[in-house]
Amino acid sequence: MSQDGNNVSRRRFLTAAGTAAATAALAGCSGGGGEDTTTESGETTGEGETDQTEQTEDDGSASVLRYGRGSHSPTLDFQNSTSGEVAKVTEQLYDTLINFEPGQSTLTQGLATEYSLEGQSASITLREGVTFHNGEEFTAEDFVATYRRFVDSDYEYYAGDDYVSAYGPFTLGSWIDEIQVDGDYSMTIQLTQSYAPFLRNLAMFAAAVHSLAAIEEYGTDLSSNPVGTGPFQLSNLDDANELIRLEANPDYWGDGPNVDEVVFVTIGQNSTRAQSLASGELDIIDGLGAQSSVQVENASNANLVRTEGINIGYMAFNMASREEFRDRRVRQAVSHAINTEAIVNEIYSGFATQASQPLPPNVLGHNDDIDPYPYDPEEAQRLLEEAGYGDGFSFELATFQNPRGYNPSPIQTAETVASNLGDIGIEVDINQQSFGPFLEYTAQGRHDACFLGWYTDNADPDNFMYVLLHPQVEEGELTEGQDWVSFDAEGYNTSNRSAWANREYMDLVEQGQSTYDEAERESLYNEANQIAHDEAPWVYLDYADELRGVSNRVSGFQVAAISGPYLNLVSLN
Amino acid sequence: MISTRFVLKRLLLLVPVLVGVASLVFSILHLSPGDPALTIAGERASEEFVRQVEESLGLNDPIWVQYGRFLADAAQFQFGESFIIQRNTPVREVLANKLPVTLELALYGQLIGISLGIPLGILSAVKQDSITDHLTRIGALAGISVPIFWSGPLLILLFAQMLGWLPTSGRISVLYNVEAIRVTGLVTVDTLLAGNWDMFVSAVRHMILPASVIGVYSMALISRMMRSSMLEVIRQDYMRTARAKGQGAKITVLKHGFRNAMIPVITVIGIQFGGLLGGAVLTETVFAIGGIGTLLVEAIKVGDYPIVQGTVLTFAFLFTLVNLGVDVTYSVLDPRIEQ
Repeated sequence: MSQDGNNVSRRRFLTAAGTAAATAALAGCSGGGGEDTTTESGETTGEGETDQTEQTEDDGSASVLRYGRGSHSPTLDFQNSTSGEVAKVTEQLYDTLINFEPGQSTLTQGLATEYSLEGQSASITLREGVTFHNGEEFTAEDFVATYRRFVDSDYEYYAGDDYVSAYGPFTLGSWIDEIQVDGDYSMTIQLTQSYAPFLRNLAMFAAAVHSLAAIEEYGTDLSSNPVGTGPFQLSNLDDANELIRLEANPDYWGDGPNVDEVVFVTIGQNSTRAQSLASGELDIIDGLGAQSSVQVENASNANLVRTEGINIGYMAFNMASREEFRDRRVRQAVSHAINTEAIVNEIYSGFATQASQPLPPNVLGHNDDIDPYPYDPEEAQRLLEEAGYGDGFSFELATFQNPRGYNPSPIQTAETVASNLGDIGIEVDINQQSFGPFLEYTAQGRHDACFLGWYTDNADPDNFMYVLLHPQVEEGELTEGQDWVSFDAEGYNTSNRSAWANREYMDLVEQGQSTYDEAERESLYNEANQIAHDEAPWVYLDYADELRGVSNRVSGFQVAAISGPYLNLVSLN
Repeated sequence: MISTRFVLKRLLLLVPVLVGVASLVFSILHLSPGDPALTIAGERASEEFVRQVEESLGLNDPIWVQYGRFLADAAQFQFGESFIIQRNTPVREVLANKLPVTLELALYGQLIGISLGIPLGILSAVKQDSITDHLTRIGALAGISVPIFWSGPLLILLFAQMLGWLPTSGRISVLYNVEAIRVTGLVTVDTLLAGNWDMFVSAVRHMILPASVIGVYSMALISRMMRSSMLEVIRQDYMRTARAKGQGAKITVLKHGFRNAMIPVITVIGIQFGGLLGGAVLTETVFAIGGIGTLLVEAIKVGDYPIVQGTVLTFAFLFTLVNLGVDVTYSVLDPRIEQ
């Protein structure tokens, strides 16, 4: 009897389960196909969630801004990692001497009220009356201690070779000779050479300022006990749940903050993150791919916000390894044969712009007169024949597998390249690797050609032109009449994956690095970009957009292509 | 009864297993391409800087020196500091943070699996070839066949997006500071211990979807195993004898059948639970619950050797422990096994 009773209830349960499964399946179909359904559902849950939050706010509790991203911060110390995920949080906690104008690439005052660069010295006047989160007053000594902790292995509080990030030498160490302090609020930084990007380097997240007292107190434990002067201070670091909770710094010297708390939430999967925004559980999200961008666009309680990014995706020809690539006509032929317009519009879903030169728009020296190589297989074939490769040849194209911002579908892009080049008789063998081994393989110059890209550090032209396409070797390593150099050359800059060493180009970017006059710099880089376009050491693929999903209850948020996010300017409606 | 000797013997067997696993992980990592110093230093680093990192981490030492150091450290459950994922944080600390996350999910998932799977399996066996049996078997088959990366997002879409009943992801509302009340690391337990009812409800609501996804899969496997095992037992002579003595059908099945039919089921539960402790990677990913599985995948992806080594060894250790538990349970169910 009782077994029968059980029987019925189990049957009922299974029937119910079956119905639920069927409903889920149907929901899946309509959600994927019909835009209306998604919009409606977003509306319902979104409103519910907002009500809840408003209720808590009415109760007098805090206004909390929830920022969703793909990875947790590996550390809260800007000297401990080069990761962008670190920067997102440290930008809230710390200040730099010089800032980027929110959403722009121009510079403005930060902890320094005056700054200038002349010859090999930078004069800096510091802001008075700024206090750290620990109550200590900010002075020049804090900057000096921060600098020495980063790069000076003789310093008592040097953070250690296994601790400091590569930004130590890259942004500061390689350029600074010594720092002279003149009272609490004035200092002169002597450089090792004339170096135009220096002030921009001071605006990078890695050049922020620690408190001397905190350095002395915490040493390398600063990575979990940050003490800055920023608009927010750490209230709780929850590594188990990958949450970082910040609270407003009531004594902040600058604009804002306009919310009581910020929570950084980690959701690895793009689609889940987008769903969380649509259901009102998050306020701002980043790290969107093409598919999740569409999810955000379809949500009724949030908007997709985009801006032109300061980055480039490219395919580099390795001139050191392949003789064919030493002929400019071959490189131009390949540039004509690859349909970059189709790659940008179809594979990258239009969330990027076709590239024409190494320097992206919005950076000083980008040459507006240069158009991308038009897709022209016939011209490509003609150039190949002229170069004596009319019967084609074959080469290896090394690529990473995981999506990167500037190349969201590397494998698909590689396949398109292979198919495009197949049309003009060039056979492409795709060699896919995961990112770490790929970087090592290509840095050793073992590739024939490879995909890669770059996100700017400081929005200076030098950060693309010198860093990525200058060989940086001594004069003696170069061969007269040859525009490439071996990867084995002494001191070779392996970031130049093309082995390209064009004298004229090198002269221009060297001049650009030491010229302080903006107009002069602009024309130098304009010319250098023209050479880089014509000589085609890369196939210029794309400049990717910066995409964010932003809830309707957020105002004052600006997408920044460099630095940021500027959460101190955000308020919640 | 369980003898101490039996347990000790099993515990001793753990040593060669763990040394084997440790050696395997070490060799796979060191044979695979990719220079960890280069990964740590990043794209901005000069050659000189990379060498400096290599030197400071002892990656320049001969491989056998590194191996010896690794084994010696591992014996004390020290795996060094994370290279990338949580820069310069001891791996032990990272694991201590992540283990409860996975443990909680596995416990609830398995609880759902066992509490549904066993009764359904018994029912299915007792009512062999009835409509109940067919439905249960279809349900079980569906439970095993439907991949989590499909059912997970669908459940989110239905219950979080469309109905708005349950949250999309995470372990508790981000508005609550659960770190402040951390005792065990299990949020459902910690919130109860703290006596905060709202937080507890939030934790439970967050647990429902991921635990159900795991639970349905477990249930499917357990009920299938329970059914076939019970079917075999039901046909045994002692079962007929018990019935012939005049004992009721229900008592016979539950008292004589159940205990004997449980042995293969315990094996399945053990293996499954052990597997879940290694991380239900898909479930963790879909529901953004960063447990030990996600940690391992991420560590492999970015080349964080210490984390990979520490996680795999911990996983192996837990897995063998669970299996020890299974063996002990065997000997309780059937004392002959101990011999």
